[in-house]
Amino acid sequence: MKMRYVVLGLLILFLWSFPAYAGAPLDTVKVNADKVLDVLRDPKLKAPSAKEIRKKKLEVIYAEMFDEVELSRRTLARNWNKLNEAQRKEFVHLYHQVLEKAYADKILSYTDEKIVFDREAVISANMAEVYTRIITSSKEIPIMYRVILSDGAWRVYDVVVENVSLVQNYRTQFNEILAKNTPEQLLEILRKKVKAS
Amino acid sequence: MAPIRRKAEEILRILKLLWIPALSFALLFAGCAHGPQAVSSPAPQAESLQIRLVSEAAESEPPDVNAPEEPSPYGEYTDEEESLDYPEEGGQAAVGKIADPIEPFNRAMYNFNDRLYFWVLKPVAQGYSKVVPEPARISVSNFFSNLWSPVRLVNCLLQLNPMGALTELFRFWINTTIGVAGFFDPASSEEINLQAQDEDFGQTLGFYGVGQGFYIVWPFLGPSSPRDTVGRIGDYFTYPISYLDPWYVWTAVRGYEVVNDVSLRIGDYESLKDAAIDPYVAMRDFYVQYRQKRVEAKGTKPKPVSEKQTGETLPTPTGPMDRIFPLNREEP
Repeated sequence: MKMRYVVLGLLILFLWSFPAYAGAPLDTVKVNADKVLDVLRDPKLKAPSAKEIRKKKLEVIYAEMFDEVELSRRTLARNWNKLNEAQRKEFVHLYHQVLEKAYADKILSYTDEKIVFDREAVISANMAEVYTRIITSSKEIPIMYRVILSDGAWRVYDVVVENVSLVQNYRTQFNEILAKNTPEQLLEILRKKVKAS
Repeated sequence: MAPIRRKAEEILRILKLLWIPALSFALLFAGCAHGPQAVSSPAPQAESLQIRLVSEAAESEPPDVNAPEEPSPYGEYTDEEESLDYPEEGGQAAVGKIADPIEPFNRAMYNFNDRLYFWVLKPVAQGYSKVVPEPARISVSNFFSNLWSPVRLVNCLLQLNPMGALTELFRFWINTTIGVAGFFDPASSEEINLQAQDEDFGQTLGFYGVGQGFYIVWPFLGPSSPRDTVGRIGDYFTYPISYLDPWYVWTAVRGYEVVNDVSLRIGDYESLKDAAIDPYVAMRDFYVQYRQKRVEAKGTKPKPVSEKQTGETLPTPTGPMDRIFPLNREEP
């Protein structure tokens, strides 16, 4: 009798874990978004003095949630090939800081927003789109995440807010800069942008 | 057959709602004055941060393990990847590109509007929002939005979208009656779920294949194109407020509408600008992407409803449009 339960238990465990070896794209985004909300909601971290701690925690989740290199490659698209490997690494680093400066405070200021996860759409074997909405007191903002399967996990490489793709928006800007400037000059512009603000 | 059936069900659903305006008329004539606000508050109750899973996608296939290996993360960028990036738009050439032959003029106008915003519009809107609380400002915004109904309705018709036009008609009816002259928006509530159809004449021209042409930044009005400029003229003649008689009344009302709208969006432009490397180009791309998707999206669909609320199982939300099958996977 006991043996039967053990076998049954193992079977359930096996069946249960089988389809979840990479996790569905939507679940992966949701798990990470939940972690972000946990940090924002944590009463121990509510104090303004704890802002740096919250930022650090968000940084860790961000690294887990986003595929930064993929995001950078897709932003530069063909222009990625104009950069040498060292420049690419620096670009990824600087781009990260630009995004952090632009959005970290915004995310930290969220209080009563609600996130709704609507659906996911499979684009190809390793790409998918996750559709969500942020509901605030006065409006509803559709946010779609483009995710890619890298190193066995679904990671975000583009965020589409109200139908406007972040990667596309920066790509247009970088294209314009690189049409008239060298990659080194682009990096210099980014260094200045990071130092300012 | 299925789409026809779905359409029929939709029409039935809308017809079922007919009793609401009928009832509201009865209430009005009976002189009953209990607060229609109770029907629906325009602002969704913002409970503390809360995640709700509305519906999960159907079977998300486990990813193909034998997929070709990704190149090293810092490797070269290949053109095949580029075409994979935005497959729904058929390559990236069509996405977010617009000619900008009058860039020096546009940049000057962009700077003018930027100053107009920071020096005039924003301080006025901030002062206004100190005096008028947010719920009241949302109501005012609902009121004007209700008056934009003719524009949305006419353009739904012009875009051969009778369901959209019908939705707008019922929205106008419901919001004008139980929504107290449009100050509340019960039609958008989860129970009624008739969403405003974001359509205008610029999109109608786009629907018939008219391209944006090139980029123009107008003083006061902001980003536009020849197509959307013509569209705005059409919108002007369809918007009832435009017919207010002495010109200064029109100007004052329109000005108030703008200030009220801006008061609800303070910070949006600032974050776009702060995040940008070149704010002018960022704004231009934002405008082009936004308008292009608005033209592609025919009308606005009802919000997905969670299973809990309807008590019935939802059909799987993945249709042929949602799902582009990978080329290297065999279909069952």
